[in-house]
Amino acid sequence: MFKFALKNILFYRGRSIATFILTFISSVLLILFISMQDGSHNSMLKNSLKIYTGAIEIYHKGYRDIGGNEYLIQDTKSIMEKLAKIDAIEAFSSRYETYGLLSNGEHSAASMVAGVSPNKEMVLSSLHLALKEGKFLDENSGNSIYMGSELAKKLKLHVGDEVAFVGGASDNSFAADIFRVCGIFKTGLFEFDSSVSFLSRSYFDELMYAKNRASYINIKLKNLDDLDRVNSEIVRIINDKNLESLTWKTLMDTMVEAMEVDNIFGYISLSLFLVVIFFVIMIYDFINISSRIKEFGVLRCVGLSKKNIFALLFYEIFILSSLAVVIAAPIATCICYYYSINPIVINGIAEMYRDYGVVSDEIPFSFSIPTILWNLSIIYLLNFLSILYPYFYINSFKPIEATRHV
Amino acid sequence: MYSLIVKMAWKNSFLRPARTLLVVAMITVSMSMMLGIQGLYDGMAENMIDKNRRSGSGDITFYAKEYRVQKDLKYRIKNASAIKDELKNMQGVKSVVLRVRADGLLSTARKSSFSFMQGIDIKEENHFGRFSEFLKEGEIKLENGDAVIGLELAKKLKLHIGSKVVFSTQDVMGEINSVALKIRGIVQTTNIELDDGAIFIDIKDIHRFLGTSSGDATQIAVVCKDEGLIGRLQTKYGGLDVKSFLELQPMMKMMQDIMFIFNSITFFIVMSVVFVGIFGVMYVSILDRIREFGIMLGLGMHYKYIRLQIFIEAMFVGLIGYLGGAIFGAILLIYLRDYGVDLSSFSDALEMWGYEAIIHGTIKISYFTTTFVAIITASLLSVIIPLRKIKKLNPIEVIKAEK
Repeated sequence: MFKFALKNILFYRGRSIATFILTFISSVLLILFISMQDGSHNSMLKNSLKIYTGAIEIYHKGYRDIGGNEYLIQDTKSIMEKLAKIDAIEAFSSRYETYGLLSNGEHSAASMVAGVSPNKEMVLSSLHLALKEGKFLDENSGNSIYMGSELAKKLKLHVGDEVAFVGGASDNSFAADIFRVCGIFKTGLFEFDSSVSFLSRSYFDELMYAKNRASYINIKLKNLDDLDRVNSEIVRIINDKNLESLTWKTLMDTMVEAMEVDNIFGYISLSLFLVVIFFVIMIYDFINISSRIKEFGVLRCVGLSKKNIFALLFYEIFILSSLAVVIAAPIATCICYYYSINPIVINGIAEMYRDYGVVSDEIPFSFSIPTILWNLSIIYLLNFLSILYPYFYINSFKPIEATRHV
Repeated sequence: MYSLIVKMAWKNSFLRPARTLLVVAMITVSMSMMLGIQGLYDGMAENMIDKNRRSGSGDITFYAKEYRVQKDLKYRIKNASAIKDELKNMQGVKSVVLRVRADGLLSTARKSSFSFMQGIDIKEENHFGRFSEFLKEGEIKLENGDAVIGLELAKKLKLHIGSKVVFSTQDVMGEINSVALKIRGIVQTTNIELDDGAIFIDIKDIHRFLGTSSGDATQIAVVCKDEGLIGRLQTKYGGLDVKSFLELQPMMKMMQDIMFIFNSITFFIVMSVVFVGIFGVMYVSILDRIREFGIMLGLGMHYKYIRLQIFIEAMFVGLIGYLGGAIFGAILLIYLRDYGVDLSSFSDALEMWGYEAIIHGTIKISYFTTTFVAIITASLLSVIIPLRKIKKLNPIEVIKAEK
């Protein structure tokens, strides 16, 4: 039956070429589209994780929903001692975040001021790599403040300038001090750069009365694939009902949700192309099969069953689809691989979409063999579905009636 | 003669009804899907642009020079009331509002966030852009320390109707000043900047709080009917920064352009594939009847009549498909316009992007006219190659040939 199908493919060249070309186009289109969509989403997530948010963060329950000083982690040291025992953790550190007003002469702006451990932060985040001017913090940098570029611009500050701070300490008292700008950073995340500044915890804890207290503990993993397993281990080891250990999937749930919405719209657009191509393949199959009714009638008369006829049609579409896929898949895979290493650059796209968390002009493709295989299986499925109607159509003829068909 | 050709064309269109119906189904499904997608995407973009225009800059906005860069009260328009009166008397101007903005810190007892306070005159804002329609919860009330807040900012600070907040900022003298406010309403304008960071109070209260005079404003926004007005205003008010909506919102312009490019590419690809489908059917249909055409030519029928018959046949198929697509597409578009697509389960993400949880489509006549032209053109073009085959026919050979 396979040989028979092969001969039919060569004999009905018009239909074969049309099916081949359409399958080829839809395969390439689907693989590239999904790769670009996944790639840009992964890049947005990676950039956000790299800059500041941890793979896992530990909070006192209520801190994220209600907030306030009574929901600070009170005994950071003992939790950190427990975390040190988990092998899968690459680094961890506590952060203390507060909001206050920064003033320079007649200019003032609200800012989130965070106390961080500079040495640990160099492993945990890419804050130090975002340095634009001056230098990053160190453990003994005292009242030095590391400030976002847009915030510094707003306050008319340069490296070496002084800035006044007024905020609330962890015991709800007023805290005020003068900081000196040691460095200015630019991550590309507009809101982050225009509102956040950092101090070394050793100094900031004294000012905020926050020794051994933290807003949360930030954790970086050796392997991000171990996320859920490590998180369960953290929950088990910490064993404190007042604390919650959250993965980035929860911490950035809105971004994850936004990507799902983007995927939905992407699939809607893609489905239009696939439906039209499916119809055309079906039409060509139908034209081909309806012109062979007499042939199918003869085949049935000489003893072929309906199953055999189905197998014949199945082999025909399988061979044509496979031929197209065998050529389309390597081409599309190479393109995906190339653009996953050398992303497409659209100058100005980050500036244009900065409100949406886009920090780079680069649009990398995702290179994932399982995703490509999954895409190809959709193409196969659509092509197999396209022979169903023609198959039922020829079965509507009785064998004798089919042999007399004109 | 011509009525006979039309009759023959009609009958031949349905000579193989299953084949014709497949083509019709292909055109109907692809066209209605394409119309639905176009309407939905255009609706999303238009809704966003409309609400951004109404809640923010209007058609034309005035700032003092340097204000957009510095965002400092020092760079406010000091004779804003007088300019507003002049603008109101100008031909083509529909509505003018003054706004005062101050960036600062908004705090509850437990949380703080960056924010900006915007002083507005609610009556004028309603006339300008139907501000009250943005209300999501509570009421629009801006009296005696009452405030209305953007949806995302309210979410960030866990604020509800009746919550108390303190806003701190620098006043016009450079002193840090704070004011206590009670949240009376939560608005969703779908303008990301406003939803993420704005707390609205009465313009008189903000003047009192900041120490600015009642004639001052940081922004003058204008809604106008005359597109050429901006040029005249830029010349007249050369000392001010006069910008159009799209100049201030380049992302909206880019979004419009991207939608247009995306819809055009989609349209072109879909129509090309549809063309391939129609071509296949028409080609086979003509080859099936090649003897018939040979006999007609042999009997003395002129080629131009055969060509006309085939063109009409193709047009019938395309037209029926178009009608099906137009009917289903119109139903889909009306549904999308009236009921929309409910994506409430993704509301956080959509609101973060400045969209509503229920996305409504739009209907444009151009969807139907351009698709009509494209489908009829595709149908007519699809028979050109088969026609060339007929033209080269030798009638005698074709009649003699085995079927």
